[in-house]
Amino acid sequence: MHGLLETLQFVYAPQVVNGLSIGVAVILMALGLTILFGLLDVINMAHGEFYALGAYLAVSLLAAGVDFWLCLLVVPLLMLPLGYVTERLLIQRVFNRKDRHVLTLLLTFGLGIVLEDAYRIVFGPNTVRVDSPISGAANVLGMYFPNYRLFVMGVGALIIALVWVVVFRTRLGAMVRAAAHDRQMASSLGVPVSRVYSGTFAFGVALAGLAGVLLAPIYSVFPTMGKDFILLAFTVVIVGGMGSIKGAVIAGLVLMQIQALASLYISPVWTEPLLFGVMVLVLMWRPQGLFGKLGNG
Amino acid sequence: MAEAGAVAAAVAHNEKEGERTLNRLALAFVALGLIFAAVAASSGDVFFFRLASEALIFGGLALSVDLLLGFAGMLSLGQALFFGLGAYVSALVLKNLLPSFWLAMGITLAVATVAGMVAAVISIRARGVYFALITFGLAQVVAKVVYNVPRLGASDGIIGIPSIRIHLGLFDIDAASPAGFFLFCLGFMMLLYAACVYLMRSPAGRVLAAIRSNEDRVPFLGYPVGLAKVLAFVLAADVAALSGALYPMLRGFVSPELLYFEVSGNAVITAIIGGAGTLIGPLYGSVLIVGLRSVIGSYTSHHLIVIGSLFMLAVVFFPQGLIGFIARRREQRRLRRVAVVP
Repeated sequence: MHGLLETLQFVYAPQVVNGLSIGVAVILMALGLTILFGLLDVINMAHGEFYALGAYLAVSLLAAGVDFWLCLLVVPLLMLPLGYVTERLLIQRVFNRKDRHVLTLLLTFGLGIVLEDAYRIVFGPNTVRVDSPISGAANVLGMYFPNYRLFVMGVGALIIALVWVVVFRTRLGAMVRAAAHDRQMASSLGVPVSRVYSGTFAFGVALAGLAGVLLAPIYSVFPTMGKDFILLAFTVVIVGGMGSIKGAVIAGLVLMQIQALASLYISPVWTEPLLFGVMVLVLMWRPQGLFGKLGNG
Repeated sequence: MAEAGAVAAAVAHNEKEGERTLNRLALAFVALGLIFAAVAASSGDVFFFRLASEALIFGGLALSVDLLLGFAGMLSLGQALFFGLGAYVSALVLKNLLPSFWLAMGITLAVATVAGMVAAVISIRARGVYFALITFGLAQVVAKVVYNVPRLGASDGIIGIPSIRIHLGLFDIDAASPAGFFLFCLGFMMLLYAACVYLMRSPAGRVLAAIRSNEDRVPFLGYPVGLAKVLAFVLAADVAALSGALYPMLRGFVSPELLYFEVSGNAVITAIIGGAGTLIGPLYGSVLIVGLRSVIGSYTSHHLIVIGSLFMLAVVFFPQGLIGFIARRREQRRLRRVAVVP
């Protein structure tokens, strides 16, 4: 009995907490992806590059002497106009064509390639480290965890809750959902549909940027940092059901727990195929993912 | 009634003319290849022969993307999976089993067909962007696994693949000879192309076109959607793998990079810039992209910015691609000529 408790405390508990912390990070990425798909019908292949941009902006601002906490606020604000312009200049151009799913996917894919190469030119190809703004570690259940990770988990949960409130409990969110559900009807009721679309895209991009700042001190910053993360985020979004916020949160938590606990038994190399296998099984059972869609995406 | 018949005949005629345009463009491709070979051979070149062979090999990969995208409307973001599979199988056979071209190709074909069926079962039920994301994930996972398996050379890949002689019945081609291997690649790719054209213009190809325009309606016409999609998927897997199998013969090594998303993405870019749905477009596109990358590469290592921007412009302004654009211009001219006659 004593041994079992110790195993639980020292073997499983740290993995569960680790899984939680990665889970919150992945959900932050997945949240932007799923909102852009659910509300705008856009698969944003450049999401990982926007995430990287957030991290790079933070690195530059930190180097210029800006406080980290201010970065958390400033970077998403800087990303908003960028997302707005991207939607206006690129997405709008193909939005009314027949196969817009594929076309927007291809466009953002092209954008991702360009951005990634641009980071190499502007910020250099090397990995940059960001000092953790909160040092030290806290004792949780007899185990020590870095304070910053705990902070990210708390803030991440807060952001997720805020996004949910904005989308489902505010007038703005209602307008966005109305525009996604029936463009003509929303437009005739006075919703500025095209601006709402651009604004939503900007919001998704800002969310990716915020994730970039938050996670920069945990994972280092390099031009392709978004690529490694995006597959995980897409897996979460697909399993949860594209366009569903609830689905992204639940799938993110469950999948990352599976990954964390499985890595106790199998080599970390095989955890990604395992998650992918779970995704395939879910899709065979429910091709639309676990939860229904938001809007009519 | 008679009018409807006349319209149908006119549509069929127009379609035949369109096919003839593409046939001519394919012949022009061969002619350009031969002219290039003559010029390059007379100047004793090696570098451009190798580059052009590579363009043809990656053109085969783009061709397989076009089979799915241009005909069945399925966007594969993981076609590098089969390209890399072909390259690895061919490399392993040549190095460890027997340095025989035909054995390598035969085993590659068999393995790719089985792998294609497995991947089809996993991905075919998903539609549209779901299909794109699943193929993307599938390739990514396999690439990660290959990267970490020491017996496949892990991150180093497989090096030291013996140079082979390709027996073609009447004569042999030395794969180490730049001109010989280029001409062989040209012939091989045109064979693959011809086979794809034949299949896509057959009734089975028509079912794919029907699926592309309205998947839900096809079963009511009595055609099996699932089967047609699986066949298209396996065919595309085979084309990609056979193209990939030539890679180690050209370069003498294979590495996990061949399975990466860059390769899949590049193939999609190539197919779209060349002209999706034309089959010959991807081959032209590959020559264009490989050439462009080589030219830009001599000035800067940041060719991705140029190619990515070009790709975005193509998606927005030239969704039919280079060859699609040319074919449509010719069609318009032809129709205008017809319309003048009262």
